[in-house]
Amino acid sequence: MKALTIFKAVTKNWMRSRSGLFFSILFPVLLLIVFGSIFSGIGGSSQYRLFIQNFDLNTANGELSDLSKAFIQALNSTEAFGITDIPAGENATEYAREVLGPLGGNMRILQISEGFQGDLLNGTLKVRIGIIYDTIQYFEPYLTSEQKMAVMQGLTQIQQFNASIPDAKASLMIMLDPADQSAAMVKSIVMSVANAFNYELIGAENVVEFNETSVTTKRYSNVDFYIPGITAAFIMTNGIIALTATTTEFKRRGIIKRLSITPLTKLDWIIGNVLSQTLLNLLLTGIMIALGWVIFNVRVIPDVLSIVLILLGSIMFSGIGMTLSGFIKDVEAASAIGNAIAFPMMFLSGTYFPLEIMPSYVQAISKALPLTYFSEGLKHAMIYQNPEGVYLNMAIVAVLAVVFIIIGSLVTRWKEK
Amino acid sequence: MSKDVVTVDSLVKQYGQLMAVDGISFQVYEGEVFAFLGPNGAGKTTTVEILECIRPLTSGTAHVLGYDVTRNEDVKEIKKRIGVLPQEFCALDKLTVKENIALIGDMYAKHLDIAEVIKLLDLEDKTNEKFENLSGGLKQRVGVAAALVSDPQLIFLDEPTTGLDPKARRDVWAVIANLKKLGKTVFLTTHYMEEAQTLADRVAIINKGKIAVIGSPQELISQYGGLKVLKICGGDKKLAGLLQKKYDKVALNGNGDVLVKIDDVDEFWRVMTTLTDIKVGKDIEIQTPTIEDVFLKITGARITEEGELK
Repeated sequence: MKALTIFKAVTKNWMRSRSGLFFSILFPVLLLIVFGSIFSGIGGSSQYRLFIQNFDLNTANGELSDLSKAFIQALNSTEAFGITDIPAGENATEYAREVLGPLGGNMRILQISEGFQGDLLNGTLKVRIGIIYDTIQYFEPYLTSEQKMAVMQGLTQIQQFNASIPDAKASLMIMLDPADQSAAMVKSIVMSVANAFNYELIGAENVVEFNETSVTTKRYSNVDFYIPGITAAFIMTNGIIALTATTTEFKRRGIIKRLSITPLTKLDWIIGNVLSQTLLNLLLTGIMIALGWVIFNVRVIPDVLSIVLILLGSIMFSGIGMTLSGFIKDVEAASAIGNAIAFPMMFLSGTYFPLEIMPSYVQAISKALPLTYFSEGLKHAMIYQNPEGVYLNMAIVAVLAVVFIIIGSLVTRWKEK
Repeated sequence: MSKDVVTVDSLVKQYGQLMAVDGISFQVYEGEVFAFLGPNGAGKTTTVEILECIRPLTSGTAHVLGYDVTRNEDVKEIKKRIGVLPQEFCALDKLTVKENIALIGDMYAKHLDIAEVIKLLDLEDKTNEKFENLSGGLKQRVGVAAALVSDPQLIFLDEPTTGLDPKARRDVWAVIANLKKLGKTVFLTTHYMEEAQTLADRVAIINKGKIAVIGSPQELISQYGGLKVLKICGGDKKLAGLLQKKYDKVALNGNGDVLVKIDDVDEFWRVMTTLTDIKVGKDIEIQTPTIEDVFLKITGARITEEGELK
């Protein structure tokens, strides 16, 4: 009963605090809107800017060659690029810098060399002749001696013709900035288009068919995948930063001491605070999902398992917050230490970036972070609907919740020294 | 004989080599205002917090309302029966006056009607004001209200007026005087001499962890305060010389006033007759000794406004 009174009082105190509301609810919501807008394509699809300088002209009419134009068209059809032409007579980098203007931007220049079309045709011809030659050779053991003689004569003529074709390859030059984070992606797309162009010219057909299907039963958008991660991360910051700072402030101002003189027990105080954190976190989850549903049309729905997990996560991070505030004396230090713990954890636990792309030592560190299990558990519950994945992570979160609540209770001082 | 509400015997609180409370013994009687008077670091708050059961003692015994502060079962009983205004009282900033008082009240099985407590402390027009918007004096009044809401038998007020302006201080004094009228036992700590003298039935002067003297302000003043002084404002050396021929204890202070210490009423009238005879047309004041004189006499020092020894 006294725990409920504490719950009501600290929740009311928090709800009336503008900064508390901002950092606990509005900031995560803003972050979701920003992330969601970037990855859901709201406001127009994003494209990589690419400058193309085409040196390949037809010798007959002085116009751009058909194949170089076809290649640029193929790049355009990917819809990945916003293409800007650089006239052949210009200095490519200076021209691009001028177009990018004073605010700059990443300079990516693709140059199609002179003789692109001729080299492409010659190269294609050589490849096709090679295929004919190989095909005939393949069937040689099955031929009669007369047939073999005739074939050998033909092969000799083919070889002579092949040798007369210039041995050159159509050349593309791409200039990228090493500091450009999208450089690898741009290069990969251009190479894919070049390969497709190669296959088309030699008449190759796909023998390996590539199909794609979702591992989830529902069709989710990018924003759906961000919701459990952002929710988990902010449940963590609410416990580790906000609760630590608030409790330290209560302690510094003598509010905890004042309450400890009444019949209120330490357990009631802790339960009241954990309840308040749980309500705040359920509210945060609800608002995030509702907002995602209204703005981004997300489909993720929290089930019973996610709610239980949020409850356990709230207890776990409240326990960590209580533990920290047991050792910290002033609010500034509480904020600094809370941030120093929360932010690395946010980025090292696979909440925002998949752990698969991280170095092995980061993956090893992530296994020691409570947020990893909480965030993974929420993804399994809310996205993959995989109860086995939820139970394992939930069990770890539950054990950590008990451990940190016990430590938090032990270090919360209810009596002066 | 009044009943003991607090009984302390040979109480010691030690932090390493530092003796914060050094073997003190005293009693607080039911219905009185008992003041602990001393400078910062004298051991006032430490003693009070031991009695409030939030700080363990090193040795000795302490009983509050008959319960032992070292026994867990007794501690629960003590906490149910005491009200406390801690030093530098703070409450939840975003809660209103009413909500903060109710929060403390709800910690007890029974509490007084919140509206009545608010009325008693004259906080009615601030009922729905957030705590963060109150002045220092009003915050202290909320603290006293929170201390009273459980209808306690004993109220601890730890430095209730420290940091308040003179008007706010006198407002809090009025509140404390009212508590006495309500029959409450009040244990007050302060470094303000006037506060102890005005409010307390008995004063214990504490310094460096030891109680120097205990008694009613009048007892202490008559025992340690020294003689009354007749001050002839703007007197001169000639007048001082004339008076010195007739009386032993005549001096000039730094302002040029002539000070004559008097033992009793007869001596007072003799001095007055002398002054009339020699036709002294000056302002005359009678200075009576105060607790400050007692403190000076006992400790050899004064306490500054900030609570430091000077």
